[in-house]
Amino acid sequence: MSNHEAINEAILEIKDLSVAYGTAKGDVLAVQDMNLRVLPNEIMGLIGESGSGKSTLAYAVMRLLKGSARVVKGSVRILGKDIYAMDKEELRQFRWANISMVFQSAMNALNPVLTVETQIVDTILNHRPQLSRREAREKAHELADLVRIDRSRITSYPHELSGGMRQRIVIAIAISLEPSLVIMDEPTTALDVVVQRSILDQIKEIQQRVQFSVLFISHDFSLVSHLASRIAIMYAGRVVEVTEARSLMDAKVAHHPYTEGLWRAIPKLTAKSVALEGIVGTPPDLLHPPSGCAFHPRCRYTFEPCRTVRPQLQDVEGSEIACHRFVPEGIQHGQ
Amino acid sequence: MANEPLIEVKDLVVRFAVGGGLKRQRIVPVNHVSFTINPGEVLALVGESGSGKSTIGRALVRILEPSGGSLHLGGADVTKVKGKALAAYRREIQMIFQDPYGSLNPVKTVERHLRLPIRKHKQDREGGISEQIDESLQTVGLTPVSEMRVKFPHELSGGQRQRVAIARALAVKPRILVADEPISMLDVSIRAEILQLLKHLQQEYSLAYLYITHDLASARYFGDRIMVMYGGQIMESAPSDELVDKPRHPYTRLLLAATPNSAHTGPLPETSNRSPDLSENRQGCPFADRCPYVMAVCRTQDPPLIEQSAKHLVACHL
Ligand SMILES: Nc1ncnc2c1ncn2[C@@H]1O[C@H](COP(=O)(O)OP(=O)(O)OP(=O)(O)O)[C@@H](O)[C@H]1O
Ligand SMILES: Nc1ncnc2c1ncn2[C@@H]1O[C@H](COP(=O)(O)OP(=O)(O)OP(=O)(O)O)[C@@H](O)[C@H]1O
Ligand code: SF4
Ligand SMILES: [Mg+2]
Ligand SMILES: [Mg+2]
Repeated sequence: MSNHEAINEAILEIKDLSVAYGTAKGDVLAVQDMNLRVLPNEIMGLIGESGSGKSTLAYAVMRLLKGSARVVKGSVRILGKDIYAMDKEELRQFRWANISMVFQSAMNALNPVLTVETQIVDTILNHRPQLSRREAREKAHELADLVRIDRSRITSYPHELSGGMRQRIVIAIAISLEPSLVIMDEPTTALDVVVQRSILDQIKEIQQRVQFSVLFISHDFSLVSHLASRIAIMYAGRVVEVTEARSLMDAKVAHHPYTEGLWRAIPKLTAKSVALEGIVGTPPDLLHPPSGCAFHPRCRYTFEPCRTVRPQLQDVEGSEIACHRFVPEGIQHGQ
Repeated sequence: MANEPLIEVKDLVVRFAVGGGLKRQRIVPVNHVSFTINPGEVLALVGESGSGKSTIGRALVRILEPSGGSLHLGGADVTKVKGKALAAYRREIQMIFQDPYGSLNPVKTVERHLRLPIRKHKQDREGGISEQIDESLQTVGLTPVSEMRVKFPHELSGGQRQRVAIARALAVKPRILVADEPISMLDVSIRAEILQLLKHLQQEYSLAYLYITHDLASARYFGDRIMVMYGGQIMESAPSDELVDKPRHPYTRLLLAATPNSAHTGPLPETSNRSPDLSENRQGCPFADRCPYVMAVCRTQDPPLIEQSAKHLVACHL
C-alpha cells in the first residue's frame, strides 16, 4: 500500500485521550489520559484487566462510541488525520478505506439471515466494485483456507457454525479489506492453540506482504508476546506500562507491579498443582478511582507517595512504566 | 467420591444438515461419544475449534435433541424426559454458554438476571434475596456491587458479562455445571480467582463440571481428567497430569506442541492444515489427513477408543 510510504510517523496516534460514560451517579472515566502510538506495519498488543477500558478505547479509535459515551478530551489521529475533526461523510469514507475492526462480540456479529459466503462476498464487492461476483467468491474461498475453514462449509448460516468458526469468519472479513489499520478485540477466545497459531502466523505473513498495522487486544500473555512487537498494559483506564514483547514474560526485566501480578496468576502447563495467585483486592471503582496510583490498594510494594501522587510513565530499562518504585527519589511529580 | 457416576453419556450422536440448495450436506459433529462424570469430578473437554465440544454441552443440558444415544443422571434415563421431569433435570444441570454477548437478556439488569434463579432456591439458604444477589456478585468480582446490580448488559465489558453468566448458573445450585469457555474473556488475575471459586465449589458442594476450554494449562489445573476431541470423536482421555506429561494420540501431541511453555512445545507435527471432515460418509480416523504417522489402515478403519493403561484411553491404530 503506497500511502504508507509517504508517512513515516505513526499510523495511529492517541493523545491525552479520555472517554467517559455518563451514568446517573456521575461520569465513569473508562479511558483516562491515554497516550499510544502504533507505528507503520507494527503489531501492538494491548493487555489489561477486564473492565479496564480496552474495548472503550477501540470504539473511541473507530469513532463508534454510542449512547452515554463521549470523548472528554484528547485526540485520535489515523494516518495523520484527526478523525474527530472529520464530518460524517468524510469519516465514513475514511473508515471504509482505512480501518477495519474485529469486535469482541464477533461471535454474534454476523447477520443471522445470510450465509457467511454471501456476507464475505458482499463485503468484498462493496470495497472492490471492479471485481466480478465469481472473482469475489474465489477470494472468499481463499479467505476460508486462510482461517482453516472447509470451503464447503462457508455456505452455512452463522448459527450453523461453532463459536470459533464464526470468530474466524469475522477475522477473514476484516483482513479481506486490506486496511491500513486493523483493530482486533479478543479475536481468538474460542480458538484452540493449533488453529490460533496457524491463523496468527498467516496474519503476520500477510501483514509483512501488504503492510498494515494491528492493535491487538487480548488477555492471553503468551499469545500477545508471540504476535506483537510492543505491548501496552492498561489498568483502571490508564496505560501503566509499555514494553517490548520479548520482555513481557521476562522476570529479569523491570515491570509494573500490576504486570508482575498478572504474570503470577497464569496457570503454568508445566507445573502440577501449584496454587494460583490472583491479585488481592477488588477491581477499582471507576466512579471513585483510588487517589494517587490507582493500583495502590492492591499493590504489594505500596509506599508513601503511591497514595497521593499519580505516577507518570517513565523510561525504565527500555520500557515505559508508571510506578513510583522506578522514580529516582526527589523528582516525584504529577498530581 | 461415590462409585456411581453422576452423569453417564452413552453413544451420543448428533447430526446436522448444513448448507443450502445443492451444497446441502449432513455432518456428524458428535459421533458415538461416551463418557461419565462422577459427583464432584471435573472433566475437561479440549479439542479443535469446530470439533463438537459445544454441541456435546448443549445436548447434555437438553437444549438440543440428540440423534442417538442416551443420557443418564444418577442412574435415571433423562434422554427423553419432558415437562416437570425436564424442569427438575435442568435444576441439577446448568450451562454457561460460550458467547456472553448472546446469552444475556439485553433488557434485563444484572440484578434481574440473578433474582429468579436465587428465588427458586431460597428455601435452603439464609438471608434475603437482595443480600444473596450482593453476595453472588461479590464472589465473581463484580464490584462495586451497588453499581453492578443496576447495569444492563450493554453497559458491561466482555469479561463482566461472562461473570454475570457464571453467577447466574451458580445461583441455581446445580449438581453439575457445563461451563463452555467460561473464562476466555477474563484477564488472568480474575481467571485465577474464578478458577479458585469453581474449585472451591467442587470441594465444598461436590459440584461436578464439564469444563470446555481451549486452554490446556487451565484444563490441567482445574480438570481431574482431560478428554481430547477431534472431528466429532474422542481421541484420548486420561487423568490430567498423565495426559499432559505422556500424551499418546498424535492430535494431543500436536496440541501440546502448539502450547507455549510445555515440555512438548516445538514445530507443529502435522502434515496439512485441513479442517476436520465431519461429513457422514467419512471413513477411517478423523485425524488421518493431518497425521504424520498415518498408515493405510487409518484411512479405512475407524480406530476404537481403547484403554491402553489404567484410565488412559486412546483411539489410534499406532
Ligand atoms: N454503556 C456503559 N455505561 C456505563 N458504563 C459502561 C458502559 N460500557 C462500559 N462501561 C464500563 O466501562 C468500563 C470499561 O469497559 P470496557 O468494555 O472498555 O472494558 P474492557 O477493558 O474491554 O474489558 P473486557 O476485557 O472485560 O472486555 C467497564 O467498567 C464497564 O462496566
Ligand atoms: N445448529 C447447527 N446447525 C448445523 N451445524 C451446526 C450447528 N451447531 C453446530 N454445528 C456444526 O457442528 C460442528 C461442531 O460445532 P461446535 O459448536 O460443537 O464446535 P466446538 O467444538 O464447540 O468449536 P469451538 O471451539 O469453535 O466453539 C461445527 O462444524 C458446526 O459448524
Ligand atoms: S506506584 Fe506504588 S502502588 Fe502503584 S504500582 Fe508502583 S509501587 Fe505499587
Ligand atoms: Mg472488552
Ligand atoms: Mg464451542
